[in-house]
Amino acid sequence: MQNLFDFFINYKHWFVFIMLEIVSLVSLFSYNGYQKSVYFTTANSVVGTVYSAISSVSSYIDLKDVNNQLEADNETLRQQVQVLQQQLLEAGLDSMEMMEAVQPYTIINALVVNNSLHRSNNLITINKGRADGIAPEMGVVSSSGVVGIVYMVSDHYSIVMPLLNEHSKISCRVKGSEYFGTLQWERGKTDVAVASGFPRHAKLKVGEVVETNGFSDIFPEGIPIGYVFKVQNSPDGMSYQLRLQLYTDFKRLRNVSVITDYTQPERITLEQKADSLTLDD
Amino acid sequence: MNSTFFIRLLRLTILLILQILVFNNIHLMGYATPLLIGYMLLCFERGSSRIGLLLWGFVIGIVFDVFSNTAGMASASCTLLAMMQPKLMQMFLPRDADEDFKPSLSSMGFWKYLLYAFLGMLILHATFYSLDAFTINDWQLTLIAIGSSAALATLLCIATELFVRFK
Repeated sequence: MQNLFDFFINYKHWFVFIMLEIVSLVSLFSYNGYQKSVYFTTANSVVGTVYSAISSVSSYIDLKDVNNQLEADNETLRQQVQVLQQQLLEAGLDSMEMMEAVQPYTIINALVVNNSLHRSNNLITINKGRADGIAPEMGVVSSSGVVGIVYMVSDHYSIVMPLLNEHSKISCRVKGSEYFGTLQWERGKTDVAVASGFPRHAKLKVGEVVETNGFSDIFPEGIPIGYVFKVQNSPDGMSYQLRLQLYTDFKRLRNVSVITDYTQPERITLEQKADSLTLDD
Repeated sequence: MNSTFFIRLLRLTILLILQILVFNNIHLMGYATPLLIGYMLLCFERGSSRIGLLLWGFVIGIVFDVFSNTAGMASASCTLLAMMQPKLMQMFLPRDADEDFKPSLSSMGFWKYLLYAFLGMLILHATFYSLDAFTINDWQLTLIAIGSSAALATLLCIATELFVRFK
């Protein structure tokens, strides 16, 4: 008995070690069950506030680039307005109808406060959360293209799973065709992703634009993702893979928009269906 | 509760601030992000409480995790380093070392300290990046990340030692 006690006393640090490792690993593996773990991430309000302060400094430094980007955006928009006005004049459409076609979704603008790039599972923290109407599974875009999907929300911050995450899978298509595939990121470069699953009979060219296809209920169709710079065979040789240059510059990501009401109509019909099923029982 | 505790707490705070604001933003060649938080564990003197060391390792890891969205990764690796540190130090002890020998650049000499710091950082980064990748598919990338960031962290350790000594 005495020996047993001695054993426990001599090796007590081993027990502490094993206990702490178990705590760490449990938190590591339970990370995927989202909402629960929100306090142990950058969506936690203390950490979020710290990062907001840091990002207000670094966003000031980036102002010049942001300005240039805005000017370029403005220029494109002005041109688009001219083209659209011209079309409107020609078509003689009711202007209300036109507005609805162009802007069917509500978006919430948010600021990136923390952004990782070089892990295998990168995450972005933005400064809007549940209180602003953001919920998990909403699509996030920037002025240049798709950014990612909201993964976790707290009251005032959200965590976005960007394209640069090995778990991220987004349905996409080649613009102007019906060929679709799945977009995934390969660890390494922050501006390159791979779209796979295109059929062998598809005619695919370098330089073509790849956009979202609206199959999932996260992104509306037609949001640009990137352009093709290489067409290659998939590892099993059954389909084509496209290597894409992404339009979104994740290194300088500051302003993003969350699409909040795209999932709504579908969810309502689904919920109604579920309700009627329970009534039948 | 004595002055050593508060000195450690201060050191932990400074290291964490540096790590989160500066070193987390270093991506040398796109891979090497040094975890200098391990430096604190390497500084523990001979004969300090092993349970205390483990708890310090765990705490510094978990705070880092909360700030970098890496739930459990850094706390697991820092706890492991805290467990190995006494054995690691024993390998490089001078023959006439005191009971409360403090590992540092001046007490061990350059080459011994370099090797000591590198091995310690290698343990830390190997665990961290293996847990991060959690696959052997792109093991070359993981190896590059481990090697380059451990080397960078070792250099930073030595720079910190020099800075502390000449301050």
